[in-house]
Amino acid sequence: MRIACPFCGERENGEFTYLGDASPKRPNFAADSGESPERVEDAFYDYVYLRDNVAGFMREYWYHGGGCRSWLIAERNTVTHEFRSVIAAPGVGAANPVQAGE
Amino acid sequence: MVDYLWNTQSPLQKALVPGCHGATGAHPGVTLREVRDIVLVQVMARRGKAAETAKAAKKLFGVEAPATPKAVIGKTATLVWSGPDQFTVIAPRTDEASQLAAMAQAFTGSASLSDQSDGRCLIRVSGARARDAIAKFSSLDLHDSVFPVGTAANTSVDHTAVNFWREANGTDGHPVYNMLVFTSFSDSLWHTIVDSSLEYGVEASSAKAA
Ligand SMILES: [Zn+2]
Repeated sequence: MRIACPFCGERENGEFTYLGDASPKRPNFAADSGESPERVEDAFYDYVYLRDNVAGFMREYWYHGGGCRSWLIAERNTVTHEFRSVIAAPGVGAANPVQAGE
Repeated sequence: MVDYLWNTQSPLQKALVPGCHGATGAHPGVTLREVRDIVLVQVMARRGKAAETAKAAKKLFGVEAPATPKAVIGKTATLVWSGPDQFTVIAPRTDEASQLAAMAQAFTGSASLSDQSDGRCLIRVSGARARDAIAKFSSLDLHDSVFPVGTAANTSVDHTAVNFWREANGTDGHPVYNMLVFTSFSDSLWHTIVDSSLEYGVEASSAKAA
């Protein structure tokens, strides 16, 4: 399996580390939003523990630790290992601001 | 009380045996050189300061800092891409303190600098069979059409991070590759390169950066 890093080009998968689903967003409750503790707890439980078991394309975090040391988001087919796209994760490099919840 | 003596020495003190090894012939297929006395500084643009960093690099080195995996030769140093909005500055060591001070001043407010001069070892591999030897331990495609002169890559060799770049061909017309590796892994990498090169004949030496 070879992965096309948007910065380095195509490299062997041994240079990359897999983290997992890139879809969950960290819940972002304001401290004084008045949300019930149960709802906040449920949202964090979902964010931390619950994952879909996708058969097909999913967005995943990969880390190019053996190369440019950038976090990437790849669309990979979990059945065929086909990569549809690989892009830089938000916050990579100096130019892009980190987006809330990423 | 015990007196400690700290001597500066090459990380290849043991591994590097100068001279010719392996196959004998008219010309060794691989020339292997440790390039000593370098100044090495990692430059990372701060958030939102990529443009300022590029400008400061242009002013100090007279060239555009590489924005893609390339190595460019500036007035006083070679700038090698090492990741998005970051690059490594490599220069022969002349007056280290003033070399570092000039950079610190140039990049004030735009980039963070990290002096790696004694943290890495620079190994230069060249010769008619250099590419064949490297192919045994690197997964990079070094064909001329993919990896021409000036190309750089951050890669892994035996799970060890290596900054790799190709400089201008030698006077013999053969390719010249540079490998920058953590000093503590340089002994292991050196042995790997020598072992891979023995069948082509390899000439090993060290030299001061020029
Ligand atoms: Zn990369």
